[in-house]
Amino acid sequence: MLNLPKIQPGHNVLVRQPNGDVRSIKVDRDSIVTVGRLGSFYANELIGQPYGFSYEMVNKQLKILPVRTLEEVEDTDATNELINDGEFVQPLTLDEIQTLKQSGVHASEIIKRQIEQHANYSLKTEYSKDKYKKRKEAKYSKSFITIEPTMHNVCDYWFNKDQNRIRDIRPDTLSQMLAMANVLPGGRYLAVDDASGLVAAAILERMGGSGTLLTVCDTDSPPAYPVVANMNFPTEMVQSVLKSLNWATSEQHYVSVHAPVEIPADEIRSDRQKTRLRKRKVAHELLENTREELFAGEFEALMVASQYEPSGIIDRLVPYLAGSASIVVHSPHSQPLVDLQNKLRNAPGFLGPSLTEGWLRKYQVLPGRTHPTMNSSGSGGYILHVIKVYDDPTASSVIISRSKKPKTDTEQTLDSSEATPPSLRPSSP
Amino acid sequence: MWSKGREIAAGDTVILWLTRDALQPLVIEPGKEFNSKFGSYRHADLVGIPFGSKVGSRTGNGFIHVLRPTPELWTMALPHRTQILYLADIAFITSYLNIKNGSQVVEAGKHILTGPFLGTGSGSFSHSVMRSIGTSGHLWSYEFHETRANKARFEFHRHGISDRVTLTHRNVCKDGFTVTDTADALFLDLPAPWDAIEHAKKALRKDRIARICCFSPCIEQVLRTVSALNDSGFTDITMYETLLRPYDIQQTSSLPTIGEISDKLKQSEIRREEKRLKQIASGHRGGSDSTSPAKGNGQKNVSASAGGKRAKTEEEDIIDVESQVIEDSQNFLTKDVSMDGGLLLVKAEEVLDDGNLKMEKPPLAQPMKINLSKVMPEVRGHTSYLTFACLLPPLPTIGVVEDESLEQV
Repeated sequence: MLNLPKIQPGHNVLVRQPNGDVRSIKVDRDSIVTVGRLGSFYANELIGQPYGFSYEMVNKQLKILPVRTLEEVEDTDATNELINDGEFVQPLTLDEIQTLKQSGVHASEIIKRQIEQHANYSLKTEYSKDKYKKRKEAKYSKSFITIEPTMHNVCDYWFNKDQNRIRDIRPDTLSQMLAMANVLPGGRYLAVDDASGLVAAAILERMGGSGTLLTVCDTDSPPAYPVVANMNFPTEMVQSVLKSLNWATSEQHYVSVHAPVEIPADEIRSDRQKTRLRKRKVAHELLENTREELFAGEFEALMVASQYEPSGIIDRLVPYLAGSASIVVHSPHSQPLVDLQNKLRNAPGFLGPSLTEGWLRKYQVLPGRTHPTMNSSGSGGYILHVIKVYDDPTASSVIISRSKKPKTDTEQTLDSSEATPPSLRPSSP
Repeated sequence: MWSKGREIAAGDTVILWLTRDALQPLVIEPGKEFNSKFGSYRHADLVGIPFGSKVGSRTGNGFIHVLRPTPELWTMALPHRTQILYLADIAFITSYLNIKNGSQVVEAGKHILTGPFLGTGSGSFSHSVMRSIGTSGHLWSYEFHETRANKARFEFHRHGISDRVTLTHRNVCKDGFTVTDTADALFLDLPAPWDAIEHAKKALRKDRIARICCFSPCIEQVLRTVSALNDSGFTDITMYETLLRPYDIQQTSSLPTIGEISDKLKQSEIRREEKRLKQIASGHRGGSDSTSPAKGNGQKNVSASAGGKRAKTEEEDIIDVESQVIEDSQNFLTKDVSMDGGLLLVKAEEVLDDGNLKMEKPPLAQPMKINLSKVMPEVRGHTSYLTFACLLPPLPTIGVVEDESLEQV
């Protein structure tokens, strides 16, 4: 079942605190979960719940709060001119507030007392009252809302938490990358993801367990991709689809240092050695199969979000793309993509390179107070999109022939710094 | 319809890329021919070649590229005036509404599915949705015009996608939808979406979060929609605008420096002065016996230089002085320009040992190239406001805390 609507044991759940901050909590069965400085609760209380409800933590148990809709606020005649905010003094001292908190008085009671003693409160306009109340609620309420792990929500969470780790990919630019690459269930895609797995997670979500995603990374072992963990994908949904190589193992001429050696049965000394050899064999087979998958080519799109020089990446992977496949490259900066666009424009086999920037504006929609949000994201990065084409009208084969010797430097490359030239452009037979 | 095969086959829809601004959808029908200013192409000649091939014209030197259709290429191929939903909107809505493999989607409005099938140029969103939901998803589409609805239904059947799409002719604002407790995502592209909100609530599923998007060009529509959503119990009401800013990139030689221009100005000044002095000199020689310095145009003079010395006239004094000025200027050219202020931005290594800036070299050296980018002069300023909201499942009756803080203050 791809659409798991309920919180499961082991899930990483995003929760929004009353002050607007979002954090990630791990809901392991039979554990106690701490939500920052708000409080803690028994994890089992949350298991089986649908996403989206608000809860209050009371004695480590959860009470569901009623849904709060926008409050219609009647405007009054009062204006802010009548209020001397400079003279406003918080009537309850910090000590008094602490005492109230420790005595277990409910948050709404603390707020009530503050409001009662707030000089000039009745003179403030209803809107100000609303803001004041919300501000105070934020400080004292021990509640949170669970957030469904959709790609939009998870991307938004990461973007606000640490946008550098996702290379400034904002929810709108992420959605544009998926649209330009035309990511669909059952498709075959290549990706280079140095953005903590954000791009891989987005592709996996769209595919919903059907198709192939082959990523190339810069680490020895399978890539970490922490964003994928936030999505709470069922294991089989990822394992059946996601495969990885690195920049060494994705080379045609790569030979594994760890290639298993067949040892005759009578020379095997122990069961442990047998197991070890078997494991090495399995790992080696997996690697070889994945390499074959890459070299079989005909991938429908390539998506790149990487700190490495993009023309080198494209040179290496474009031979494995189908004709009419999209190449989508994201960068936090425009300059690398400007230079890349220029190279692509002058190279054969690439059609229509175009550079775009995403512009996004969020509005606050409240009765009588609808306007763009005061704070906004400055940038979601830039995207370069280009289509791979066959220049040769008689091109009929894309079966890449594996050559034993390195090719000579006869083909034009995008990246002049590449040591081994790309030798695998389809050519007429 | 939109083939997944490697090679083009008869009956496939393809997109012909003539230029960036001229994309042409085409259904391959052997026997027919496609003619354009880029040449003439027989449909039959395109059968069997891989998607993405560059094809030369039978007649003349033109060529085109034959591409596999995607929703993005489709929006590029449509006449821009009919495009209301652009790639940025389609992409953002799809993502926000979490439309993916297996999604159950309901949509109603003008710019829905029917377009690409009827050639009316709209419907990119629906098309995109239909492809994203995979074989286990479903799209319920509500079309206001009866003839359009019947035609589109016929086309769906013809293209073999009827199992994934259900098209109904209906006015959803008046009569609601035909499904209940079903949709994960609901999209309204109507002039008065607030009239459809209560109906929409019934169509959305109640066992998990469901999402709605209302697409309206005017802010007044947004305000009324938000009100209606709030009254009907929707939560997390937000509104976004999203646009793409396309960049133009050009390669050019490095920007000229003020050092170069300064030299040119001085050269030109010197040349002008030399020319003036020459004119004066030739004029003076012509009238060497006259006392008036202004006279002497065209008069042949018995050159004073034919014999002996002669006393310097006043003009010759002036000429001498001015020649000296010119000489001084030329000397000044070779001096270090940096003398008058010091180099702040021009790098030190660009100044040669003899004090000349490197840029003063003759232009025989290879000029440096730079890439310049800027946003295109004409960009889309507005498509529509996207209003989103969520519908939560009903709260369980046990365990709901009394909300004391809602008491009137």
